[in-house]
Amino acid sequence: MTYNVRSIVWIVAYLLFVLLPLFALLAGSLPPARGFWTEFSAALGYSGLAIMGLQFGLTARFKYVTEPWGEDVIYHFHRNISLFAVALLLVHPSIMFVVHPELFALPQDGKLPWGAVFAFLSVFALLALVVTALWRVKLNISYETWHLTHIALAITAVTGGLLHMVGWSFYLVDPWKRALWIGLTIFWIALVFYVRLVKPLFMLRHPYRVTEVRQERGDTTTLVMRPDGHPGFRFSPGQFGWLTVWGSPFKITAHPFSFSSSATATDGRVEMSIRKLGDFTKEIDKVPVGRRVYLDGPYGAFTIGNPADMHVLIAGGVGVTPMMSMIRTLADAGDKRPVILLYGSKDWDSITFREELEELKARLDLTVIHVLAVPPADWTGERGFITAEVLMRHLPQPYAAHEYFICGPAVMMDAIEWALGELEVPLSKYHSERYSFV
Amino acid sequence: MRRLFADRLVFVTGAIVVLLSALFALLRVMG
Repeated sequence: MTYNVRSIVWIVAYLLFVLLPLFALLAGSLPPARGFWTEFSAALGYSGLAIMGLQFGLTARFKYVTEPWGEDVIYHFHRNISLFAVALLLVHPSIMFVVHPELFALPQDGKLPWGAVFAFLSVFALLALVVTALWRVKLNISYETWHLTHIALAITAVTGGLLHMVGWSFYLVDPWKRALWIGLTIFWIALVFYVRLVKPLFMLRHPYRVTEVRQERGDTTTLVMRPDGHPGFRFSPGQFGWLTVWGSPFKITAHPFSFSSSATATDGRVEMSIRKLGDFTKEIDKVPVGRRVYLDGPYGAFTIGNPADMHVLIAGGVGVTPMMSMIRTLADAGDKRPVILLYGSKDWDSITFREELEELKARLDLTVIHVLAVPPADWTGERGFITAEVLMRHLPQPYAAHEYFICGPAVMMDAIEWALGELEVPLSKYHSERYSFV
Repeated sequence: MRRLFADRLVFVTGAIVVLLSALFALLRVMG
């Protein structure tokens, strides 16, 4: 099945998962209908909860689901559809309070019905979810703390929503309807346990061993890893994996990195080239040879394989790592098509893989165009940043015939995507993947 | 552009969900 067909199948499946449980409420015996706005409000509540539940599926890293889209599109959708679902879940009680202002009044005994208590719990958990997700850095919450809190709040919000529905007991009076919604909620929450317990258990039994630690130019370290007691996995050049170096795979400390090695290795050996950029990566050159590490992968749709007259690889800084995997793989496979690498770096000395790229020119029709932000005084090549003008100076026409791959800082990727749009390159011809999920 | 694509997916999904929620309410009211 092609990626396009699979994409459509997943969109239809997603909508069915959201809407079928709602329309199932119309079957069998029904309570007397209320006004349009009350029923609309109830439908928004059920739909909103179903969308929130499916969020667990979107982040469960099912390769078959994420492949046609790319992990970055899935996470962006996850983030924005959750804002939409939260809006639905806030509109739901708002309409109810407008249509039925008597709901503001406390019961005679002053005790809230438990259905209402769980509604408040769910709404507060949702609001906390949004605030901590949108402003995690400003709130100075560490990634690991945020991730654990995110999971706990999501489970609280969804469970609270379900208990509110059951407690209100309007549509869920029929035992089979109640069973359907309780079963769905258990299924959604079980996906969290799949990701956090079943998958780590699999990784624990399929560890990797660091066999070499190589220092590269540009504050970058390459970890060479081999499967320990198992055959490992095969990946496509450009894909990435989640790496856990310090601690067990049950800890939420995995970080996504592209594979930089050739995908033709048959012994399961993989390499990741990691630049010192943050808390986790600053210790990466201290990883000892022989250390046991854990890899979850491969993931991502950022990979070669489509028909193309030539490959145009546009990299900024450490964004060159998936490109290296592509170039090494094309060289190993004896590919005769031209490859142009436009490679933006800070200065001449910090160009990661500079020497190896020169050597690879002997095995591949490879052209490397370095673009330096801080060039040496005698530099005659491109300077500054990769722009539409740089692309036009070095790429043969027609531009739309080539296959483009872009990886680098977000600002650079935005600029290149804009430039390719100006060159009338169709969206289907260029690929980019962003790893700043949170 | 890929994020724009994801945003369009969110918009289309959201519109379908709201419209069908309204249809649900109509079906209920009209019996």
